[in-house]
Amino acid sequence: MLVMNNIQKVFRTEQVETHALRDFSLKVEEGDFVAVTGPSGSGKTTFLNIAGLLETFSDGQYHLDGIDVRSLNDNQRSRVRNEKIGFIFQSFNLIPDLNLFDNVDVPLRYRKMSSSDRKQRIEQALETVGLASRMKHLPAQLSGGQQQRVAIARALAGSPRFLLADEPTGNLDSSMAESVMQLLEDINANGTTIIMVTHDPKLAARTPRNIFVKDGVVTEKKRSSMDGTDSLIMQPAIA
Amino acid sequence: MELKPILSALLRNKTGAILIAAQIALTMTIIVNSVFMIMERRGDMDRPSGTDEANIFVLSYTGFASDFNEQTQIVEDLDYIRSLPGVIDAIQSNSAPLIGGGWSMSLATEEGPDKNGTGTAIYFADDHAVNTFGLNLIQGRDFNPEDITWRNRTDTNWPGQAILTKALAENLFKEDWRNAVGKTVYISETQPINIIGIIETMQAPWNGWNGLERSMLVPQQTLFGGGRIIIRAEPGERDRLMTDIENGLMQNYKGRLVRNVRSMEEIREISYQSHKGTNTILLVLITALTIVTALGIVGLASFSVNRRKKQIGTRRALGATKFDILRYFLVENFLISSVGVVFGALFTVGLNMLLVSTLDLPSISWYYVPSGMILLWCIGLAAVYGPAKKACQISPATATRSV
Repeated sequence: MLVMNNIQKVFRTEQVETHALRDFSLKVEEGDFVAVTGPSGSGKTTFLNIAGLLETFSDGQYHLDGIDVRSLNDNQRSRVRNEKIGFIFQSFNLIPDLNLFDNVDVPLRYRKMSSSDRKQRIEQALETVGLASRMKHLPAQLSGGQQQRVAIARALAGSPRFLLADEPTGNLDSSMAESVMQLLEDINANGTTIIMVTHDPKLAARTPRNIFVKDGVVTEKKRSSMDGTDSLIMQPAIA
Repeated sequence: MELKPILSALLRNKTGAILIAAQIALTMTIIVNSVFMIMERRGDMDRPSGTDEANIFVLSYTGFASDFNEQTQIVEDLDYIRSLPGVIDAIQSNSAPLIGGGWSMSLATEEGPDKNGTGTAIYFADDHAVNTFGLNLIQGRDFNPEDITWRNRTDTNWPGQAILTKALAENLFKEDWRNAVGKTVYISETQPINIIGIIETMQAPWNGWNGLERSMLVPQQTLFGGGRIIIRAEPGERDRLMTDIENGLMQNYKGRLVRNVRSMEEIREISYQSHKGTNTILLVLITALTIVTALGIVGLASFSVNRRKKQIGTRRALGATKFDILRYFLVENFLISSVGVVFGALFTVGLNMLLVSTLDLPSISWYYVPSGMILLWCIGLAAVYGPAKKACQISPATATRSV
């Protein structure tokens, strides 16, 4: 479970103080599939970075899977990222010099797993995304959609509790976006909690839960259960 | 260890790595051979002359006046010098160790022409020579006053006895130099010389000569119109006596020039000036090359870090600790350096073989190559440490930003 309470994120320079997140509170239950939407510069990526322990926050409380994130040092944060979180990036972030097998292997190596265990997980992850036959290929030899599938395999290989996706379909055409979204839905159906930042309202509409961020403030968009259409209900995103 | 992925990433970006490896190989080749040459020269410079260098000084004289009677003057000069307080002893001689000019002859253990001879430096001196030079007489006896004769420029005859250095005796009597005293050697093919004593060490006047340790004391004083006077002072008296004696000799008799008053330490310094100069040049070369190589590694590593900022951020996001990132760059550099030092070792041996065959240099000692390899590895790691440390500071949030 992911619980954020009154998270503040302030970026300071000598002249300017920017409040990227203000009193940001959110609770994500195990198995949720949450879409985070909002205009550019609203704080979506900052939220994702803090949720993924990529950035620290200025104030507030954040518990991830029962761990008080604030108390972790840099090495512990790395370990939590490695063991509990899978990342999917907009531009895939595959390492161009490594083949697919080695790319998926990257986070597993940091977990100090045995090579046989790693091999089994990598093959299984690539199997899940339908690229097991191309594990010796380099990323440049794949289409954008296939590269994002490799990134998903990399995120899945470590069996994370949370999958954080930053515009996972942002660099893909609609058919590829559809296949990636389908894959994410399948992964969520298998119990993995997913938080996905997206600009695409159609993709957001497919997720059971929508979070809207504007000027660093979060509100939740609840679905109407009566007619199946969405209606915006401004309310705190925490129960 | 992520050796395999680092290696495969390196193989896909060969150019920079090959250039650095080549630079390391070249640097190692030059550094190791240069250090070897420096150490060889230092070894040469540190060889003892066998004399009491700290307390000895040498002066030259040349008679020019018509009333200059060299024989009388030498006797008077030596009596005067030996009577001075602070003087241990003094002699007139044709030369001194490392001074650069002297006399050499060939000695053979058998009489007659076409006999294989051994080159030796000749020091003409009286019965005060051993004491004046501070030599260590290890066998036989010193000259007696009655052994000493005078030698004119035109004389071709040699006195019948001499004192040899141990190195010369070893060369002449290879089976056992310890039995050399009492034996006869031949000079000018037919003239016998009886060996009456062996001194441990006395270097020849020429430091570049391969028979530097082979010298012979001949019991004669020379009447060549000019020569050298060697003075041994008591500890702490040398510098004062250098001035006093120069002035005293000039006052005593003005018909000869007294010049080149130099301590043995100065003589050694002058003698090895070219060695020191060459060593300095080599040291500058080594330093410059090391800096250039280190800067090359820093440059490549910095470029590599800047180029891979997003990749580093992604690795951090996926769970790499700062230490994992540091280790990645250190291992990567170690692999590049290893290729460089392996080729460097081969080139080092190759260049040394070339130098041995063309310049008659000695073969490099085995430990220079592994020492050079370790040094270059250390230089590589030290050079990459800064950029690697910088890479550690890249935030994992870089993974989600456009870099």
